[in-house]
This record gives sequence, structure tokens and C-alpha cells, in this order.
Amino acid sequence: MQWWCSASGKPWTWDAQYYPGVWLMVAVLAFAFHVWSRRGRAMGESRLVYWAGWSAVGLVWQVLDWPIGPLAAGYLASAHAVQFLSLALLSPPLILLAVRKPLAASMPERGGVRRALNIVTQPVIAGVLFNLVAIITHVPVVVDTLMPTQFGAFVIDIAWLAGGCVLWWPIVVEAPARPWFSVPVRMLYLFLSTLFHTGIAMVMLLRDFPMYGIYELAPPWPVWSPLEDQHLAGGVMELAGAAVIFSIITVMFFRWSGGVAGDVAPPAPPRD
Amino acid sequence: MPLLRSLALCAVTAMAVACSSPTPRHGVALEPALPRPSFTLTDTRGQPFEFRKETRGLLTFLFFGYTNCPDVCPVHVQNVAAVLHTLSFEDQQQARFVFVTADPARDSLRVLRAWLDHFDKSFIGLRGEDADVARIMGAIGLPPVMRGAPGANGWYEVGHPATVIVFTADDSAHVLYPFGTRQADWAEDIPRLLRVRPLKGD
Repeated sequence: MQWWCSASGKPWTWDAQYYPGVWLMVAVLAFAFHVWSRRGRAMGESRLVYWAGWSAVGLVWQVLDWPIGPLAAGYLASAHAVQFLSLALLSPPLILLAVRKPLAASMPERGGVRRALNIVTQPVIAGVLFNLVAIITHVPVVVDTLMPTQFGAFVIDIAWLAGGCVLWWPIVVEAPARPWFSVPVRMLYLFLSTLFHTGIAMVMLLRDFPMYGIYELAPPWPVWSPLEDQHLAGGVMELAGAAVIFSIITVMFFRWSGGVAGDVAPPAPPRD
Repeated sequence: MPLLRSLALCAVTAMAVACSSPTPRHGVALEPALPRPSFTLTDTRGQPFEFRKETRGLLTFLFFGYTNCPDVCPVHVQNVAAVLHTLSFEDQQQARFVFVTADPARDSLRVLRAWLDHFDKSFIGLRGEDADVARIMGAIGLPPVMRGAPGANGWYEVGHPATVIVFTADDSAHVLYPFGTRQADWAEDIPRLLRVRPLKGD
């Protein structure tokens, strides 16, 4: 039995596989989320945000466990792209949204943790860190070296989840407070921070031959060829990634423009 | 200065020769080169196929495998097919892919044709008796086919060499490609292999 999904080189079957490492990691995440999100609820966080956070935890579990986990690890680049989107772009903001208030409230005033958080969640550094993770974990030699081993595949999955949390923290958690990091700057930050992953998607879409040996040389998937699968992966990253990012930017814009309008023209108090 | 100019000219010429050299960059070199073998098996139309005569002077990919193979065979054949499809029509006419079944008990001519059509309708499928195939593989220097024990459902594995042998226009194989050869590797080597010229007198 494997503890984490990795590229096995064996022909794909629909017989369920069990990955105790995935269950353990998801259990730890779920427990931590349970504790922090309860505090968030007590601090006035809405029920919708709470359940959206639980959905994100469920999404993390689904994309790491059978069947998406092993498919992504050794058979389909498109499943790997779905994993990337889920772990780095979709789940982190929803999880952070449900726990942002207790996280901000428990932020230490000083000390090493505070200094580290100040640095890592500094938007420029956070954006650079996320892009470094996104680029390095998509370099063919890195993927082909890490994915056949359980530890390597684990490192990539955790790096995506952690990279996503780092990317979204400055936007969602808003602590440490940074007055200059206004909503328009956040929209720009989000747009710029995800440009590189769009570039990776373009490379996957435009290459004439498969980039990743683990998918090209894997026992064949009966529905589409490795190159078609790579193009699909590029499309998923490009289109679904853009849909996620631009939806959030749009929501931020309308909330911000509504807020600005409200600030300019506050409602007149009722007269007796 | 004339000396410098001559040296520069020599360097440029050497680089040009090196860049246009038909030496493949991937695969395992065969020393000495393997002459194109002579054997006759039955093709998927049920006609005798004289390998040496039918493929003489052409870039020929020779592979021994079986259609029930779950991993190596379909990946190898798919990768060659994918790259051959990117070549010009003229270059495609200079190339032949010959698949000899190592499992004639299950690979009937119809099964063989249907499986090859999945990759390319021009790929040639050959079938013969076990003893004939074993003799041909032995003559080429390939290890013999090993048949695994059948499972509960009657399915069995066939151990076979996972290499594609490539014969060039000089009717020799200078290189063989083991499993793991990527499409990008084939794309780099096939144009070089196509540039090998036939031997004088052919």
C-alpha cells in the first residue's frame, strides 16, 4: 500500500486505492479548520463562509485521494492541472476566508513569528513565492524526478497548498495591516501574481510534443493521447484559472466601487 | 590574417558538417551496424511479406510486441506514430513501421490490423509461427520471447524486447531505441535518420 499517490508506471485500473498519508493530512487540516472556523463563527463570520471553508477542505481531500490523486500523479497532466487549480487557487482563499478573523486576532504583536509573517505575507514577497512554487513545480525535470516517488509527489502537493495560502493571505486575512494595499492594488496584485501560471499554461498549449515524461511514457489512457492531454491541461490552467481569478477580481471591483460610492454619498439621516 | 580567415572558414565548415550530420542523438548505438534482415512473414492482408525486399532503402522501424501489451508496446508505437505524423508527405513515404507480433496465439491478422489502425493505417503488421518469430529475433540478436503463466481469466503477459530497431536507407541499423524514448527524441532523430543515403550500387 502506498501512503501518498505517486507515478507507479502500472496500467490504470478503476479499482479503488487507499492512501493513508492523504487521509492523515486531510484529517489534520480538517481538525485545524474545525477549531479555527468555530472561533471565526463566534466572531461573527457568516454561515455561508463557514460552509464554503468546509467545501474547500473537502475539495483538498477529493483532489488528493483516489481517483484524481493517482490519475494526476502518474497518468494525466489534465488531472494534475485540476489538482493545481484546486490546491493553489480555489481552496486556500475559501479556507482562509472562514478563519481570517481568529487568525488576525491571534497575530502576535512581536517576536519571530510576527517577523516571519510580516515578511512572507508582504504582497510582493508573497507573489514572488507563489510564482516560484508554480514555476519550479512545473519544470519538466522537476516533475519527472519528483512525481514517481511518494515523498516527491507529497512535496509538490503541499507546496501548491502552501503557495496558495501565501498568495491569498494578503488579500483575505488583511493582517498585518497594510494601508497602502488598497482594493485596486489587491486586484493588480492578483492579476500580476497569476500571470506566470498563465505563461506555463500557454507553454503546455503550444508545445508540439509532450513535456512530461511521466505522462508521455505512462501506460496509455484510452480516451486521449498524451499530447491531447497536455493541451487539455494547458486549457484547464488557462481558462479555469482565468475564470477563478477574474471572477474574484470582478467581485472585488464591484464591492470596492460600491463602497467608494457609499463613502462619497452617505445616506441622509431621517428627519423627524 | 589569411591564416585566421582559413581557420575561421574551417571552423564554420566543421560546424556545418556537424550540424547536418545524420548521426542520431538518442538511442543506443549498434557496433557493428546490423544488416537489414531477410525474412518472410504474413502481413495483415494475409499476403507473404518479404521484409528485406519490401523495405529496402527505406527508413524502417522494426518492433516485436503484442497487442495485449498494457504499457510498453502502445506507448512505443504511439510515440513513433505521433512524430511520423509531423513529417512532410515525402518523408512519410520514405518511412515504414513494421510490427511483428510476439503473441500469434492471440494476435490474429484482424486483431493486429485493428490495433495498428488505432495508431496509423499505414503501419505494417506481421504474424508468423512462434518458431519463425523466434528464429528471426535470434538472427537479429534479440532475446527470445517469454510467455507468462495465465491468470484466472486466461490473460497472460508476454516478455519481449522493448526496443525499436531502426534500419536506414543504407540497409543497416546503426541504432536501437529502448523504451523511454520520448517523442521529442524521435523528432530530433528521425529527420537525421532520413538523411542517411543508400549505399552506392543499390
